[in-house]
Amino acid sequence: VTATEGGPALRGANAAVPAGNDGWPGVIAGSRTRRPVLSLARWEASLLIRSALVLTGLLAGGVTTWILIGPAEPLWWNAAWKLGFGQLVLGAAVLAAAQLAAGRARRNGMADLYASFPATAGTRTLGHLAGLAGAAPASLVLLGATAAVVTMRGAVGSPSVATLAGGLLLVIASGAVGVAIAARFPHPLAGLLGALALILSSGTNHIGSGAGIWLLPWEWSQDQLSSLVAPLAGYPPVGAHVLELAGLAALAAAIALAATASRARARAGLATCGVAALAVICLAGVLQLRPIPTAELNHLVSGAANPASVQRCTTASGVRYCLYPGFSRQLPSLAAPVSAVLAHVPVRPGQPLTVMQVSSLYLPDSTLTHGHPRRQVSRWEAQLQQAPGTTASVSHIYLPVGSWPAVGGQLADARFDVALAAAQWALRIPVQAIGNPTTGPVYLPCVAVDQAREAIAIWLAILATHPPAGELQAGLTAPAGRPLVFRVSTGLVSVWNYPGWAGSYLAPAQPGPQTAAGYLLASAMMRLPEERVAHVVAAGWRRWLDVRTTDAELAAALGIPMPSVPVPQLPGAGGRARAVVRAVNTGPGGGPGAPDVPNPVCTS
Amino acid sequence: MDTTQPSRHTRVTAQPAGTPHSESTPPGPDQRFTPPRRPRLTWLRALPLLGRPIAWTMPWPTLLTGCVAGTLFLAISAHVADTSNRPLDQGDVRVAFLAAIAALAFAPRTQFRPLSLATPVPAWVAPACHLLLAVPVLALTCLVQLRIMSHTIPLHTRGPGPALYPLLAELTAWCAGTAAAAAWVDRSRYADLGGAIVVPVTFAAIALASYLPVAARFLAQPPATSHEVTITWYVIALVALALTCLAMRDRWHRYARDVRRRSPAGRSRS
Repeated sequence: VTATEGGPALRGANAAVPAGNDGWPGVIAGSRTRRPVLSLARWEASLLIRSALVLTGLLAGGVTTWILIGPAEPLWWNAAWKLGFGQLVLGAAVLAAAQLAAGRARRNGMADLYASFPATAGTRTLGHLAGLAGAAPASLVLLGATAAVVTMRGAVGSPSVATLAGGLLLVIASGAVGVAIAARFPHPLAGLLGALALILSSGTNHIGSGAGIWLLPWEWSQDQLSSLVAPLAGYPPVGAHVLELAGLAALAAAIALAATASRARARAGLATCGVAALAVICLAGVLQLRPIPTAELNHLVSGAANPASVQRCTTASGVRYCLYPGFSRQLPSLAAPVSAVLAHVPVRPGQPLTVMQVSSLYLPDSTLTHGHPRRQVSRWEAQLQQAPGTTASVSHIYLPVGSWPAVGGQLADARFDVALAAAQWALRIPVQAIGNPTTGPVYLPCVAVDQAREAIAIWLAILATHPPAGELQAGLTAPAGRPLVFRVSTGLVSVWNYPGWAGSYLAPAQPGPQTAAGYLLASAMMRLPEERVAHVVAAGWRRWLDVRTTDAELAAALGIPMPSVPVPQLPGAGGRARAVVRAVNTGPGGGPGAPDVPNPVCTS
Repeated sequence: MDTTQPSRHTRVTAQPAGTPHSESTPPGPDQRFTPPRRPRLTWLRALPLLGRPIAWTMPWPTLLTGCVAGTLFLAISAHVADTSNRPLDQGDVRVAFLAAIAALAFAPRTQFRPLSLATPVPAWVAPACHLLLAVPVLALTCLVQLRIMSHTIPLHTRGPGPALYPLLAELTAWCAGTAAAAAWVDRSRYADLGGAIVVPVTFAAIALASYLPVAARFLAQPPATSHEVTITWYVIALVALALTCLAMRDRWHRYARDVRRRSPAGRSRS
């Protein structure tokens, strides 16, 4: 940890400071005294750049940013803010390193020796503060690398320079806080606790709520930035937040210098600076707590409740794709699996298919609506309840904004889900059905038990997206290797977890559970020549659409034996089996916290 | 002061045990300093007398600061949780306990090691006793933090929540792992920085154990069951304790670099 030990007492300290000079503000005034400060700052900055702690923080910040952004759809108004949390992790490391460096003299019991040098304690503190410039390269590298990754993924929108600059300022402010802590507490634990407090204050969602989240050093978990279809002015209040960080940095610097200044005049000047910094922080806090303008929220809610007013629709292969402005580059990625499915469909349903983006905006949310009258918020809520995507539609595939992955396996899974949804539309498999009539009507994803159309839908989806065979096969068993059993209204059934079944790529629910029999038959169909299967499917299309046509009939038409299906039985009593059932039951009303109700069988 | 320089008490090369060396001739670079042999277990008689100095040299302010800081953070979180109707959970206790873990990293530091090596009592006694003294403080901190957590759960929703014993096993393993890391760093060239090295290492290990999918299969529930998680954490704690004992019994500082190459004798030989 190079920044903590082994630093020189003062390099270039030969330019003596006049006796009695405290280093602040006198040192700044004279060019003779400025030289040792700059010399010390240069040395401390070079130590900070090479500090193992800072380099570890850089790595941790990169990993954190990677996890936060992940393979999700990159939206600049969301990604730029998330980059700031990576900077917070780096800032915590810089805080600890700066505290170790600034507390070096007292921690090693060398304060008396340092006091005998020409440079005063104030000069050294000023050097430490100026040396925080050494943390800037790490911050810029982190910002640059992550911004480049986001850009390469085809991010929607443009980055906010103020937000990115805020991240850099956060790192510098954290370092200043570390120097201020060291001025009073040289023990390494003080810096580590300071770093921990910095991360925990923003890392947990218990410290701030409502608009108060913007007062934290860098909020990351309670906003709805990933649900916005476009940047929203004042959300987050970037300008005011940058002002707050600048005030914090100035206050920390004033405290650090005041702790090492000995002259009353210098202390008075620093106290004035501290009060001014405090006033700036308060002003920034007030600005951050201002409500978002009503016009902006009206525009946001109307865009979510009535997407047709702002979306641009394109028709390709007879399917209508409606996307919000700026998202048009997703069109090829969406259209490819749908078109590939429909290419094998001889007769399409009368009602055309529409693939539509929807906003997953959630109200009431005090981070958005704070400061607005309750009546107004209720009106917005009522508008959102009428928005498309809140209930399932036979001829629509809804894609929540921010849910479409950019790269990797999740993108492949999302493409499979869209293909499966399109195939289910083509084969008239309903999205939901009424289930559990004993406790009242509940809409749940229905299961096409022993229906040939299910196997054909799975075959179409596999043919369109070509997912890895291993991933498909893995869907037959739970992580522990147990067969997956699902309870439907007619009894137990072995099910198959299709790729991306646990994702939230579609709204309001993913395609319903698929039976193991349907998958195994589709898998057998994949082993046959594509032309042969396509001919059988096209020749008996009306027959396959019939609910009563079974898997065995389809297998017979293809001239293959029906694959053996694992017998559905509950492994052991109660708990484990329930866990499997709940893991599959992901429809509305069927989430992990929902009562254990059986899903209905598709009957139409 | 550059504390990264090697200590004079470095064992410069491996020698067979019991290599004789006379008082008249100082040990050469290839000879090992053999401390006076003490009768086995006779130092136990001196142990009661050591109680007070060991208690005095215990880093109480550091340990208590860490414990109180974490508890204070949890108390503030609980206050906010009360007003925002979001009860705390075991995850919050884990996070708050990190401050105590950070403080524990500074506990097993051997002060005046050269002096303690010359005494009839083994040098590991003091740090081991410091760790033992830290145990009740950490246990009390855990208890208080769990009380704070349960205080935020509304009465009407209180029920058989998640089991506590996996959490206790996890926190025990964290403490044991931290102690092991601290003991090993105390044997390294970074001994003077002690906790400042140990804390980032420990936190990184905890983060990996929590978020790495491979580790989460055994250490997180679900997918692992409460019993599996508990057993795994206690096994980790036992291994960490064994490593702590191993490190504490080692009398010498260890350096990654070969010191012989830096010594004149080593240079002339090469």
